Amino acid sequence: MIDYFALLDLERRPFIADESLKNAYLRKSEMTRAQTNGLDALSSVNMAFRTLSNPAARTQHLLNLEFGDARGGCLAPDLGAIFGPVAEAVQMADRELGSLSAQSSALVRALAYQKVDGVRERLAEVETELSKRYSGLLSELQQLYEIWRIDPAQCRDRLAQIALRLKFVQKWLSEVHERQIRLEELA
Amino acid sequence: MNDIVGIDLGTTNSLIGVMDSGFPILIADQNGSRLTPSVVYFPESGEPVVGAAADRMRTLSPERTVYSIKRLIGRRSGESEKDDFPFVVKSQAGRMLVEIGKALFKPEEISSMVLRKLKADAESSLGHPVHRAVITVPAYFNDAQRQATMRAGELAGFTVERIVNEPTAAALAYGLDRLGDRARIAVYDLGGGTFDVSILELNDGVFRVLSTNGNTRLGGDDIDRELMRLLKDRITARHPELRAELENKLFAARLREIAHAAKIRLSTEDVVQVEIPFLSGHRGFSYNLARQELEAIARPIIRRTRSHCLRSLDDAKLDPLKLDEIILVGGVTRMPIVRQFVAEIFQRLPNIPHNPEEAVAVGATIQSGILSGQIQNVVLLDVTPLSLGIETFGGLMNVLIPRNSTIPCKAGEMFTNAVANQTAMQIVVLQGERELAKDNWELGRFELEFEPVAKGLARVGVQFEIDANGILHVLARDIQTGREKIVDLNSAVDVADEAVEKMIAESLDHAFEDMAERLWTETVLKSNELLPAVRSALTLVGEQIKPDERRKIESLVQEVETALKSHDQRRLKQANSELDEGTQQLATLLIDRAMAEAAKRKR
Repeated sequence: MIDYFALLDLERRPFIADESLKNAYLRKSEMTRAQTNGLDALSSVNMAFRTLSNPAARTQHLLNLEFGDARGGCLAPDLGAIFGPVAEAVQMADRELGSLSAQSSALVRALAYQKVDGVRERLAEVETELSKRYSGLLSELQQLYEIWRIDPAQCRDRLAQIALRLKFVQKWLSEVHERQIRLEELA
Repeated sequence: MNDIVGIDLGTTNSLIGVMDSGFPILIADQNGSRLTPSVVYFPESGEPVVGAAADRMRTLSPERTVYSIKRLIGRRSGESEKDDFPFVVKSQAGRMLVEIGKALFKPEEISSMVLRKLKADAESSLGHPVHRAVITVPAYFNDAQRQATMRAGELAGFTVERIVNEPTAAALAYGLDRLGDRARIAVYDLGGGTFDVSILELNDGVFRVLSTNGNTRLGGDDIDRELMRLLKDRITARHPELRAELENKLFAARLREIAHAAKIRLSTEDVVQVEIPFLSGHRGFSYNLARQELEAIARPIIRRTRSHCLRSLDDAKLDPLKLDEIILVGGVTRMPIVRQFVAEIFQRLPNIPHNPEEAVAVGATIQSGILSGQIQNVVLLDVTPLSLGIETFGGLMNVLIPRNSTIPCKAGEMFTNAVANQTAMQIVVLQGERELAKDNWELGRFELEFEPVAKGLARVGVQFEIDANGILHVLARDIQTGREKIVDLNSAVDVADEAVEKMIAESLDHAFEDMAERLWTETVLKSNELLPAVRSALTLVGEQIKPDERRKIESLVQEVETALKSHDQRRLKQANSELDEGTQQLATLLIDRAMAEAAKRKR
């Protein structure tokens, strides 16, 4: 399997600052373009950047490289707890949105906009909660770096848990954002 | 000569440019115009006419003058709702075709005629042949639309060196003299038929697209259509006896021209006098159209761009305040309402270029300069706008390449046989963002071939690569034999479409009987949705409107209620539409109220 870290001339680690990653990518991209077999190599460089910029994907990639890990673990209880409110908020939004059609007049949509205030609040609440979790997970990755430098093997379990959590938190955040945007479309 | 030209193949107008001593220059035709209307007129005998001369034929020979063909290019039948063209559009083997007299044309053939004229103009201006071109497309064009555009270029005699996204091209035009800067910009591109919004980061000559979103069925043409409807209503209000006459194609074509011209003038004037001399016999029609009236009908259309802007910002993970510049592209953005709207969404005043219609062509020319090496130190990193995936077990879409991935990019999947001696497996390739496979756009399907072996032993790796044009290439490789095969997705599409064709043909048999009843039911549904809404609205914000406004609304409600009993579909439709229009102000008041309450709660 391709080592995306190596491809961008980066050291393998759980956390990379956005700026550093971007600069590494732009540098490598420029070098690759100058080569003769440029185009094929360019695709891989782009995918490397794509994977490493996504915290969930990056952490999973690291696990695969370092420990040959497949996905593992079950849903953590704390995530399970927030899943309920998230699913509920999203379903409520979908119900409201489903009752309208593209043909609905401005007035009908305006009334719906009024009505869905409650839904909007719920979505905002779960969004805040999920964002907090997300930032928390990123901080953990940052902190793990210290241990990683000394003994990567020690980080394995923790990384696996973070990878799993990030995967769900990222997915749910994008679902919530999508509903928020669709509700804004009513105005 | 080895010049590469840059071409903006627009819905309404097309432009062509070339690099000259390091600068992008747009080429004018024999009449000195840099804009060539994307219109083709087919006379009864002789060669097709392209450009301004064809444009003039729109009102004289509407059935033989093709315009806005970009709305049809790369689309399959069933994808365009009745686009309402005066020329005949047919469906055959899943494809859309234009019928002029007895001849049938594919949309890309029509586009290639426009391209051929541009090519001729360029060669005449430069004094030598040109064979290579960069052609732009809306960023949100899917794979089929991009491929069709490339074919149009090839049919015109070009080698298409690159397909470039329009907002990215516009960003290039904007940023060319700001290469040392670092900036984050948004490009809001509202054209005749398509809308795109892209967010880019400019950094030392590197133009990197962070995200892009859009709608390939939203543009100035929609505003023209609504304005036409409004004018028709005004005419029939004054001359009800003319209602039937107004349905004829010649009149519709004239009205479209008039509406389009009025719309343009209202960008700089507050009111225009719309004149239709010799409307019927000696009767003429004159009407003072106010900018507010235009804005009232344009607003819902412009508003549809909002969610795409929000999504684009969300995908780029940027707050609008973090942007340095908003650039407007496309003639429609000259409308003051569009500028206000953009300012509201992005919370800053947009940058208004002198010639919003030329930015894309200039950008395409710059890209041609980059490809030919005449421009150094400028790099374009564009993205694919739609997620790419395959259908999996359970009818879901499994994303292989997420949207906004920088191109070129690739992803691989490994497939194995589910049963022993299985020789083939069908893979359905999709583009889109929805969970269920059927809600996404099918790019194509292909058959993977397996050697007959025991279950689970076959291993075929499939590589999906999206190239720098945003077009997909699929490569299948049998791990055991090492055999590689370039997968052709095109042929698979025809099979699927034949099934669709059959379905449509069968349902059409029943359609006639059901049609009238269905239309009535749809119209009644709309009334049943609208009436209670109006009552609620009057309760909530009724006291904020003037008493005679309120009386007017109540009489419109009465008309709907009467029409419901009449079983006259036309009358009910008209009543609904008037009530809809008449309550726009109430709608705005409701939104204001909701937003005020939300703000209060935040404190």
